[in-house]
Amino acid sequence: MERNPMRRQLASMRKSLFDQGYLDEQFMELEQLLDDANPNFVEEVVTLYYRDSARLILNLDRALERRPLDFSKLDGLMHQFKGSSSSIGAKKVKAESTLFREYCKSGNAEGCMRTFQQLKKEYATLRKKLETYFQLARQIGPMESANRPK
Amino acid sequence: MNSSNGNGSMSTASSSGAWNGRDQFPAGLRVLVVDDDQTCLMVFEKMLKTCLYQVTKCNKAEIALSVLREHKNEFDIVISDVHMPDMDGFELLKHINSEMDLPVILISADARKQVVMKGVTYGACDYLIKPVCIETLKNIWQHVVRKKARNTF
Repeated sequence: MERNPMRRQLASMRKSLFDQGYLDEQFMELEQLLDDANPNFVEEVVTLYYRDSARLILNLDRALERRPLDFSKLDGLMHQFKGSSSSIGAKKVKAESTLFREYCKSGNAEGCMRTFQQLKKEYATLRKKLETYFQLARQIGPMESANRPK
Repeated sequence: MNSSNGNGSMSTASSSGAWNGRDQFPAGLRVLVVDDDQTCLMVFEKMLKTCLYQVTKCNKAEIALSVLREHKNEFDIVISDVHMPDMDGFELLKHINSEMDLPVILISADARKQVVMKGVTYGACDYLIKPVCIETLKNIWQHVVRKKARNTF
């Protein structure tokens, strides 16, 4: 039981990220890799993810503007994006990626476009939530935030 | 680790026997990991280092292949993503199988049976679905030992 109110807040934030389905077990895998030498490892991976995947999002946006849609290309781009997102445990984003790929396979243009808009929303929402989470974690101190209930 | 073949002598196999006689095996296992995704590569590297493996990371199959060619016997195992621009994991696997004697593990977010089948029939010693957890990576040394055992007998 966390006595410190900030730590309680952090724990509660973390719990709701999992309970609300934003993150899956892969995020916990990343947390397990935290150590003294790399106390901010999870934050670093997430930062890299958002920086690197921005390029994929842009390419997907561009590809979705072409007519007719190249479903094979879209599927390929989304496959990459899905792999990346799954490595940080981005559960909702990953689910939208899977749905998008289904629409690609069935050649459903409207489905692709709708799903991509939803994906971008989830992607942005997760980013904000994680930014807030990491900000608080840094305030508390690296080793404290590294202690996770299992 | 003690091993003897039918002739009663220890085979040091084709590699420099990086860990022969070392008590900490599989610590020090020399892994080459190939993935064009920077995020995945960062996570793999950290996980593999946590397993106490010696990690070299690479974001292009062509570069991985030239590293392997130039530094034969300096790696124990290769882990490669399947879908990469230019040369993909299957092609890398084919080259490695024809030119050298290294176990190759393929990794992909693609879990479709036909792709996994392709990986296995092309000669990958394992096919892992992303995201990979560290427990799985802790066991990859078995592929190295298995291959060496097959070569010895």
